[in-house]
Amino acid sequence: MKSRLKLTLLATASALISTNAIAETLFWSSQATPIEETQAMREQVLSGFDGGVSFQPADPGPWLTRIQAELGAGSGSIGVLGALHGDFTPLAGNLADLSGIDASAVSPGFMELGLLGTDEQKYIPWMQATYVMAAHTNALEYLPDGADLMALSYDELIAWAANMHEATGEPRFGFPAGPQGLKHRFFQGYLLPAYTGSMVTEFRSDSAEEAWTAFLELWEHTNPASTNYSFMQEQLISGDAWLVFDHTARLADAFNQQPDDFVAFPAPAGPAGRGFMPVLAGMAVPETAQDKDAAMDLISYMLAPETQIATLRATNFFPVIDVDFPDDMPPSVQAAGAAIAAMSGADDALPALLPVGLGDLGGQFNQVYNDTFERIVLARQPVRAVLDDQADALRRILDEAGAPCWAPDAASDGPCPVN
Amino acid sequence: MTDTSPPPAPQLEARRAGRFLFYAGVALLVLWVLVPIWFLFVNALSAPSEVTGFPKRIWPSFDLASVQFFLQFQGVTQALWNSVKVAVLTMILSIAMGAPAGYALSRFDFPGKEFFRVLVIMTRAFPLPLLALPLAVMFIRTGLDDTVLGLALVHAMLALPFAVLITFSLFSGIPVELEEAAWTLGCNRLQAFIKVVLPLALPGIMASAVFAFVISWNEVFAAAVLTIENRTLTAFLLQSLNVSPLPLKFAGGAALVMPALIFIFAVRKYLFAMWGIANR
Repeated sequence: MKSRLKLTLLATASALISTNAIAETLFWSSQATPIEETQAMREQVLSGFDGGVSFQPADPGPWLTRIQAELGAGSGSIGVLGALHGDFTPLAGNLADLSGIDASAVSPGFMELGLLGTDEQKYIPWMQATYVMAAHTNALEYLPDGADLMALSYDELIAWAANMHEATGEPRFGFPAGPQGLKHRFFQGYLLPAYTGSMVTEFRSDSAEEAWTAFLELWEHTNPASTNYSFMQEQLISGDAWLVFDHTARLADAFNQQPDDFVAFPAPAGPAGRGFMPVLAGMAVPETAQDKDAAMDLISYMLAPETQIATLRATNFFPVIDVDFPDDMPPSVQAAGAAIAAMSGADDALPALLPVGLGDLGGQFNQVYNDTFERIVLARQPVRAVLDDQADALRRILDEAGAPCWAPDAASDGPCPVN
Repeated sequence: MTDTSPPPAPQLEARRAGRFLFYAGVALLVLWVLVPIWFLFVNALSAPSEVTGFPKRIWPSFDLASVQFFLQFQGVTQALWNSVKVAVLTMILSIAMGAPAGYALSRFDFPGKEFFRVLVIMTRAFPLPLLALPLAVMFIRTGLDDTVLGLALVHAMLALPFAVLITFSLFSGIPVELEEAAWTLGCNRLQAFIKVVLPLALPGIMASAVFAFVISWNEVFAAAVLTIENRTLTAFLLQSLNVSPLPLKFAGGAALVMPALIFIFAVRKYLFAMWGIANR
């Protein structure tokens, strides 16, 4: 009786321990995590690849921990890594050189970001996105006189939000300030560059003070529940917000569900220009990948024009190569595409790059901007004092990382200074 | 000198008010638990446009679009099955290791007993995100990585403190005299345990097993890092769900809650036993 029990236990244990041999390339991605996007990636994008792919998305936390564990153990099952530019920086030393892949169609500026400051091609650009504004058509009638929707200024945006607030009795501007929201990108790439022409150097300048004061004014007309908002498409659809700022992929649902109800338009401009932030995702192969050739084949496949368009449909991230769009693109792509073109093509366009060279301090860098927001806007602390305070924290991070300035800040010798 | 007259009016009124408060409290607690679950199912079974619309529905419209999408999502059934396997294995492991430890703590005096008790709780003192990296490195090296057993071992470690402490108090509540009587009647230690102590302790042991099951079912971080192809439902869904559209959140939430609800409902009498309510 006892020996039989033992046998059964042993058999169960060995059955549980054995895993299926993995012939497929494992694509470990911190992007396309929403389940509809995951589904589309598997069925429409990756199903065309001959080698077989297992697409597994994960949150950035587990994503990083997992690949670090595999690198630490010296072996692993991950074949291809997919993530944002900033996610790769802590891994730079352990990524295989991908210069063997033909990526000549990708713009040289993007390829240079993929070097991660080394002289090897650490990642190959995968797809790109940015942040835009969106509004319910109901909001359009409150647009201030003389304002051009495709070329707004921050003053006009505030006046617009104020008009709506006054006319409808409710604050209708929505801002993704929730725990999963991407508010720090708004401050880094939009608000501060628009007023100061800088993301880092002019962090505590008088014009930065002006920027935050303007944002305080906008906050008066912002739905106070914004501190719970993370994906503004939800508030657009539910009607809690009529006028919002967010990542194109986080607005897509609203356009696709009710294409006639919403419009997308460029981010507003400030005194220093129309700050905006392009977002770049890339693909890399870790040193521990079991079949590097299959992994590189997969990356080449992802760069093909048809795959790039399929990726756009699946994730609402735009191609990194020049492609001719078919006419039947989803409404979200058409709306966002027009807004992005107007934004990057504007005379006063001021692209602000994602932080470069911060390594694993990227999270702390973002925290500085989030803390500044919380102290100034939520805790109502005096703007000047908070900026002086947070500038110290910012300076410490840049000195520790030794990161030289990136656009829009002027290039620097040594760590980027915070004046 | 017996007073047979009914209690004076104010006293009656106070008693009635007390009873009212009692039932109001009960109703509040019941609603507290049931209303969110009810809305979860209503929204999971309604059309996406109704979920985001206003006013909210009280009754589901039995539109299965969200649920259907959800069930077709590649890997959901596999993940559900993995979750069950991991949770059952966690249950077995934590009881197999926890019950003997609890018995030893209640019946024997040994040096370092108090230290041991603290040590058992200490396993809960370290946050999992901190442990996950070294654990994953070790698992990859030993081949436990991405297996149901490996994950169950980690979950068993999380459930052990509860298993040990619950069984400790259980065994302490069973008089040692009963065992001694069995010994005098010819049982050896093991027989006495199996024939006398175990039947008395079984409901409580089952309760701590249920606890282990629930702990394993709900754990996300270790599951997300230690498994890739063999993910549990929680790891599989929770990461995707918090960034998915509202209707799918409800469908996924319902899918996560349902199996645990059924399980707990099935073993509820053992759960009550843990809190000392008689097994009727």
